Amino acid sequence: MVGVLIRMKLAVLRRAASGPRANNMASGAVLGAIGAAGTIAITRLDTAPDTVLDLLAVVLATWMLGWVLAPAYAGQPALRAEQFALLPIPPRRLAFGLLATAFVGVPAAVTLLAFAAIVVYALPFGPAAVLLALLGTALLLTFVVLLSRLAAVALGALVRSRLGGAISGLITAGLLAVASSGWIVFVALESVLVTGFSAEFSAVVRALPSGWPLVAVRAADEGDWVMAVVPVLGLAVLVALLWLVWARALGPNRLARPVVRGSDAEHAVPRGPAGAVPAVFRKELRFYWRDPLRIQSLVVAPVFAVLTCLVPLFFGSTAFLPFLGALTALMGAVTSINWYGQEGTALWLTLVTPGSERPDVRGRQLAWLVWFAPAALLLTVAGTVLSGRPELWPWALTATVAVLGGAAGLLPWLSADQLVPGPDPRQHKDSPLDHGDLTGPAFVMMFLAIGTTGPALALPVLAEIMDRPALAWLGVPAGLLTGTLCYLLLGALAYRILANRGPELLYLLRRGREHQGQAGAEASALDTMPRSRRRLLLVSVMAGCIALFPQAVVPTLMKLSGEVAQVWFLALHLPQELQWPMIAVMYLIGFALLGLAWRLYANAQREFNRKRARKGAALPA
Amino acid sequence: MNTGNERVPALELKGLHKAFGDFTAVDQADLTVAPGSFYGLVGPNGAGKTTLLSMAVGLLRPDAGRSHVFGVDVWREPLRAKALMGVLPDGLAMPEQLTGRELLLHLGQLRGMELDTVRQRADELLTVLELTGSVERTLIIDYSTGMRKKIGLATALLHAPRLLVLDEPFEAVDPVSAATLKRILQRFVAGGGSVLLSSHVMALVEQLCDTVAVLAGGRVVTEGPLKKVRGRKSLEEAFVELVGVRVGGGEGLAWLAS
Repeated sequence: MVGVLIRMKLAVLRRAASGPRANNMASGAVLGAIGAAGTIAITRLDTAPDTVLDLLAVVLATWMLGWVLAPAYAGQPALRAEQFALLPIPPRRLAFGLLATAFVGVPAAVTLLAFAAIVVYALPFGPAAVLLALLGTALLLTFVVLLSRLAAVALGALVRSRLGGAISGLITAGLLAVASSGWIVFVALESVLVTGFSAEFSAVVRALPSGWPLVAVRAADEGDWVMAVVPVLGLAVLVALLWLVWARALGPNRLARPVVRGSDAEHAVPRGPAGAVPAVFRKELRFYWRDPLRIQSLVVAPVFAVLTCLVPLFFGSTAFLPFLGALTALMGAVTSINWYGQEGTALWLTLVTPGSERPDVRGRQLAWLVWFAPAALLLTVAGTVLSGRPELWPWALTATVAVLGGAAGLLPWLSADQLVPGPDPRQHKDSPLDHGDLTGPAFVMMFLAIGTTGPALALPVLAEIMDRPALAWLGVPAGLLTGTLCYLLLGALAYRILANRGPELLYLLRRGREHQGQAGAEASALDTMPRSRRRLLLVSVMAGCIALFPQAVVPTLMKLSGEVAQVWFLALHLPQELQWPMIAVMYLIGFALLGLAWRLYANAQREFNRKRARKGAALPA
Repeated sequence: MNTGNERVPALELKGLHKAFGDFTAVDQADLTVAPGSFYGLVGPNGAGKTTLLSMAVGLLRPDAGRSHVFGVDVWREPLRAKALMGVLPDGLAMPEQLTGRELLLHLGQLRGMELDTVRQRADELLTVLELTGSVERTLIIDYSTGMRKKIGLATALLHAPRLLVLDEPFEAVDPVSAATLKRILQRFVAGGGSVLLSSHVMALVEQLCDTVAVLAGGRVVTEGPLKKVRGRKSLEEAFVELVGVRVGGGEGLAWLAS
């Protein structure tokens, strides 16, 4: 039984390793291994022993948290109890088998490596401590795997409802904020290494199950055998308990989905203006209100913005507060991508309804603006007032209006052009997390949306350089202008794509993969690129972004604003006279790498177009 | 029913062809649906029925061939052609977070119809198809398969098209709903409309259609009036003969219920 399930899991992994997600797996393995190596490295830090233990406990707790939250991103595990529901297997045996499969795979492997830090930590303390550490490592790994499976069950039940959508939106926003403010860790680390953690904090991280093996190892070293054995035993008991709960939770779904009701006959009839665009607009408003996934994106954006802008307050910087609104709009765009993929094959209705492409795009744009623009503007005003820095008014307003317009234009265009197919909504109505991988389009959206603010923000920058503050206000009408242009032109581009490539997009949605061997079909250039090229592209984009944004743009802003925090900004660690040259070098590296990435992509695109043109010659219409 | 030669056919497919990689799904298919006819397209699973119908109505771009609706080329003049057709594909999604009535009102406005007309037609369609009352406020995502077919048919009928193209309209529909659907389609044809439907239920096609075509392995094996195609046999027997398959199920499986 266990053997059969593990072989099934290996087969799934083999397929995944040759499929489109292979890059995800590879980069996950690399990042995980780096994280694991870092975890082990902590054991060798040259600082107070208590601080080492606490730091290790913090990092292990982070790994545990990662496992709990992973189902929100990874979706359902490959092998699930429902798939075996019709086979006469006792639930506990099935639970045992499924648990075994959870240990097969990249995440469990890198986590085991990271948890080996406990053993490395125990090495100097003698054989008894090492034995406890080995036991503790195995138990802790089992514990986090079980915890993750249970979290998946709970989360699955949660996201089906609208309240759950909102809650999981809060969690997602918190995670994203933590991830994007990761550099804070380095600042905190600096002071921790000197002064250690506070007693309360240290007690908390040691009391978490992830800290128990460490406590045991430390107690063994001190000869306190009760405190050495109890935590490991406790972990064993916890594992047994979780296993029982999980075995019970398997089987038919007990947690019913709350049913959302639509409007009655009278309220279904539109009040106010009738027509194609208002009809789509109304439909979209209803979707935002009724679909848990949409509610999630409505929550994520403002919460993420607020959390991210609060972080710099720890350093006494209020410079980020005015940009609350702009960040909300930006995040609203990033979380709303893939409009057409989200609704699945419903695109056929647009294709059979003549002339419906334009109103479809315009109605969606309007609805997005109606949901996000008021929140963004309100937060901009509130943030700027709270920051007590009136000189940032033109900056904040310019950024907000430019992002809003830019995003409203980019959304339909990217949703059509970069469509990511997923299961049809009714097939995953009980597990809305099973959607396509949106990481790529999300990044594209982020950079392009930031890019659309460039021209308008250039005016406040100029005003600053020329020392003519009044000039900065010109940014606002400029932002309105670029925003409107994006809205109109990119929107027009989007409905042309729908009209011209509609059948190919529908085919992509139906089959879930690019239409192979068929000219004129919508395969992207990336898919025809050799895998090694694609990896180079990925690396140069990532490295280029790191060089350009955190290593060049951020230190520039810091130096300009006079609020310098060195953190991991290379340039700021250099002597004063070398700082600007270093920043310049970083700009150069960033642009060069991004330029390389662009060339790689453009070449592939040209090659692809040539192929398509060759095949397309034989095509009708 | 052989008057199609003098009049413009409701739907004319010429040499429609589609290959996916090495697999030819539809091979140079020709079909002619005369105006006012009730046309059945039959074929075994995987014969290419859905692919053929998708190409005919503009949902899948053909590798070669033409599709004309009342003389209008679907792929060259899509706006005009699509106004003449009502389409019900099989197994595709709908705007799932709307109720049936909300969907019909939405689509009516998208088609540029007067709101009052849409309201009235939506009301009649929902009543006839029994999608009112206790299910009035049910979102489409919670509809049963039969209800989905019915709301799909309603979207196809809403703009009073002259041709209906329906892919497996009776699949998974209960007998009572099926009777309703049949009656609506028969009234549509009696009123001068043309219907092309695909099915693999022979009895149903025999009961409804006046013209049939048999599709097997992506090729139109035969096309003509029902009586001519089936001859003196039942359509099912004629079909098995035409498709040229041996009916399996008679050998092996000795252990089953022994």
